[in-house]
Amino acid sequence: MKRLLYILSIVIIPQFIVYMVITRTDNQCVINKEGPTELKVENYTRKADRINIMVADHSKFEILQQEFERPQDVTLACLSCHTERHHELMANNHWTWERSEKLAGRDSIVSLGKKNIINNFCIGINGSEKTCVRCHIGYGWGDKEFDFTKKENIDCLVCHDQSGLYKKGKGVSGMPVEGLNYNIISQSVGSPKRENCGICHYWGGGGNNVKHGDLDKAMNSCSKDVDVHMAIEGEDMSCIACHTTENHVIKGKLYALSSEDKNRATCEQCHTDKPHNDKVLNNHGDRIACQTCHIPEYAKANSTKMVWDWSTAGRLNDDGSQIHESDADGNHNYLSIKGTFVYNDHVKPEYMWFNGLADHVLITDSITSIPIQMNTLMGSYDDKGENCESTSCSKIWPVKVHRGKQPWDPILRKLVQPKLWSKNKGDSAYWVDFDWSNSITAGMKYTDLPYSGEYDFVETEMYWPLNHQVSTAAKALQCTDCHTSSEDGRLAELKGFYLPGRDHYDFIEYIGILLVLLTAAGVIIHGGIRIVLRKNCLHSKEE
Amino acid sequence: MKVYIYKGFERFWHWTQVTLIVMLALTGFEIHGFYELFGYREAVMIHDRTAWGFLALIIFAIFWHFTTGEWRQYIPTIKLVKEQAQYYITGIFKGAEHPTNKLVYNKFNPLQRLIYLGLKILVIPVMVLSGFAYMYLIYPNETFVLGSLGPVAAVHTLGAFFLIVFIIAHVYLTTTGHKPLSSIQAMITGWEEMSEQEAKEMVKSEMEYSLKVAKYNLITNKDRSAFLDEALMETEAKLGVKCNNKLHDVISNSGAGYFRIGMDGTYQEVNESWVSLYKYESIDEIIGKNYSLSRSKDSFAQLQETFNKVLKGETVEHGLVIRHCKDGSIGYHTLTMTPFTKDNKIVGVEGIIINIDRDNATKLQWDNENNK
Ligand code: HEM
Repeated sequence: MKRLLYILSIVIIPQFIVYMVITRTDNQCVINKEGPTELKVENYTRKADRINIMVADHSKFEILQQEFERPQDVTLACLSCHTERHHELMANNHWTWERSEKLAGRDSIVSLGKKNIINNFCIGINGSEKTCVRCHIGYGWGDKEFDFTKKENIDCLVCHDQSGLYKKGKGVSGMPVEGLNYNIISQSVGSPKRENCGICHYWGGGGNNVKHGDLDKAMNSCSKDVDVHMAIEGEDMSCIACHTTENHVIKGKLYALSSEDKNRATCEQCHTDKPHNDKVLNNHGDRIACQTCHIPEYAKANSTKMVWDWSTAGRLNDDGSQIHESDADGNHNYLSIKGTFVYNDHVKPEYMWFNGLADHVLITDSITSIPIQMNTLMGSYDDKGENCESTSCSKIWPVKVHRGKQPWDPILRKLVQPKLWSKNKGDSAYWVDFDWSNSITAGMKYTDLPYSGEYDFVETEMYWPLNHQVSTAAKALQCTDCHTSSEDGRLAELKGFYLPGRDHYDFIEYIGILLVLLTAAGVIIHGGIRIVLRKNCLHSKEE
Repeated sequence: MKVYIYKGFERFWHWTQVTLIVMLALTGFEIHGFYELFGYREAVMIHDRTAWGFLALIIFAIFWHFTTGEWRQYIPTIKLVKEQAQYYITGIFKGAEHPTNKLVYNKFNPLQRLIYLGLKILVIPVMVLSGFAYMYLIYPNETFVLGSLGPVAAVHTLGAFFLIVFIIAHVYLTTTGHKPLSSIQAMITGWEEMSEQEAKEMVKSEMEYSLKVAKYNLITNKDRSAFLDEALMETEAKLGVKCNNKLHDVISNSGAGYFRIGMDGTYQEVNESWVSLYKYESIDEIIGKNYSLSRSKDSFAQLQETFNKVLKGETVEHGLVIRHCKDGSIGYHTLTMTPFTKDNKIVGVEGIIINIDRDNATKLQWDNENNK
């Protein structure tokens, strides 16, 4: 018996050792099965530890109790105590709507911003400033003559109002609506809350969540299913918790506008570049953006616009009135002034290599390929940076791709800027007169650019790397969402590099499987013959 | 008859390796995308850890092979490869004898040697190297980075397929031992069931080996007469032939006889086995007689030649020899002769003879001729 045990132990002990080796539990990941373990974060104060002290009660300041005639007077009142702050703001691109950027792949530095960029939503602001500047932090930008040096034109309230009463008007060059009580509003001020940022950043492109797909008014008050960070029952974070701000310099820029990899808000700020307790997962971070796994889908609460086709715009009812058509979810799918749309919700992102740098099509650029990439995201598998100590190494990013069809000049092969908005008929504004030729001529004249006189519609794509609507860890992508040969694999389209589980070499597969089958067949045949000729074989010849 | 052929470490190593490779293969092909078993993430984790275990085991095993000299088992030989292959192709169906035997100092048949060697120096290192390259050389923040994972993965996957092929063939070939399960049993218990014939062969080779070892060890050689006993004991210990009382039977059956002949050509000492091989009744009948008595005329001349060579200091392995027994019958044995020295002077020859029965004799003869 003892001997038997000893003998068996030689077979059993190895199994035991192997079992011990492979089930060491020391590097479980952050989400283990028993429930979430404490997430490690730095540079961040948790909700439970936040202290809410009001530093100054603005209702006690006499200057804010005066009767305000104009919103500009409020600004002057602010600046009377917060002196010199206007310098900070006037340098901020929320004010300038442009910044000097070196575009990826080009040598020259350009001045680029909302002021002059072309996108594939409302195309561009030129000629339509009066309505577009509703999202400008200023008062009175109606045309090219706006004075960017006049400090009273800064709109402090749009960001700092905490009463919820402040509101900018439509088509009034960034002025607030009539009849606001500036005493209540100005005395309420505080650091910006989500609502303040959201009023522009949710509503870009002319509707809630239209542009980004991951910035939605629902995020003012949402559950963890929409965004783990902002969830009310969770950490309830404000925008500026990540987009940290000092002296009105706000961290984070929009990739759709900004080309350089500077002053970005990143996950690593708080989560470090080794957020998991699992080495394999952390290593993934070398080539995969956090967002890729942690934002498995966007437009989680409300739909976002996926396609915008301007070419169908201009269809009117028989009586000349405008057409509004909506899809089953209540999202517009046709508007006379804008054309045809496709909205979608719970969208799976597309995935691209991206190193943080972008190029942008300028209105002066000659188009060389169609669909036009409005903001080419730079990067490739082979772009590993200089050993990737910086963020310049390309990573796989989740991207919302907005596909459009918009007017261009097929003769000069350039995009065009139509004039869209006017208060009055006969002012060449497309949204009033529905005449492309006139509106483009007017827009191009306004921007001092040549126009051949012919227009057509061209396909465009615009890329929106996703950063918000982060899911809970439990809903993050799992290995086989990418490591799969299935056509539904998240990275099925991102070819050009070897991905384990997705890729294989056919010839190796054929050789391997063939060899295995041949061997198995050989064994079966050989063994079969031995069994059939049992008398002679298997060495059972009794001694 | 059972013979001890696999030592404790060897068996431990083998079974650990089995488990590790099976785990690596199971998880590896899951990672490759063939099926879902552990879950991808778990599979990767197991694969990585098992790989480390495998590396550790390999280091142990290398150490063991070199400290024990077991590495010699893998020295490739092309001798008998053809016969071995022939055996698997036809012989096995006719119930022929294995052309080669599991000997302690030659556990593996020539085909096995080649395959195991290939496995050890090609497939496994390739798997380990490509595996660790896969694990570490793909991250851009390392100083040395592979351009692409593709080639590494290709090599690794191909190697994995080869391992599967090996495993299938290997497991099947274990059933071709004495009985279908005797090889597997041996790897578990260390003791392999063999036919009498195989055991004899094994003892023979063991004796030859001991003789060689002894020749190097016992240079001063005061108690050389006790040499055979030592060799036997050593053999016994190494072989661990299971029933002790049977050992002497085995050895005598195997035909291991000892003799010593003086300068004058007369027998000075023989052992029991020798006596019975030559079918004499007692040792006394031999001692003092000239060695010509045990030979036919032809072979006597040949033997004399050998004898003189040995007296000059050579060790001669004579290969097949025909002997004349007392009763006039004929037997076959192999003969190994070495000089017998006293005070550093050659005073005679001693040697060992190992009996060979008819079937094997023909084979050996054939071998001898082919080797010349
Ligand atoms: C020390 C030895 C080994 C090391 C270091 C190693 C390492 C690796 C690594 C790092 C991977 C990539 C997936 C992952 O990150 O886990 C991998 C994949 C794989 N391994 Fe191993 N491995 C070893 C031995 C083996 C063995 C012995 C087999 C099979 C019998 C095997 C079969 C595979 C297969 C089939 C894949 C998938 C390859 C692909 O589809 O690209 N590995 N191995």
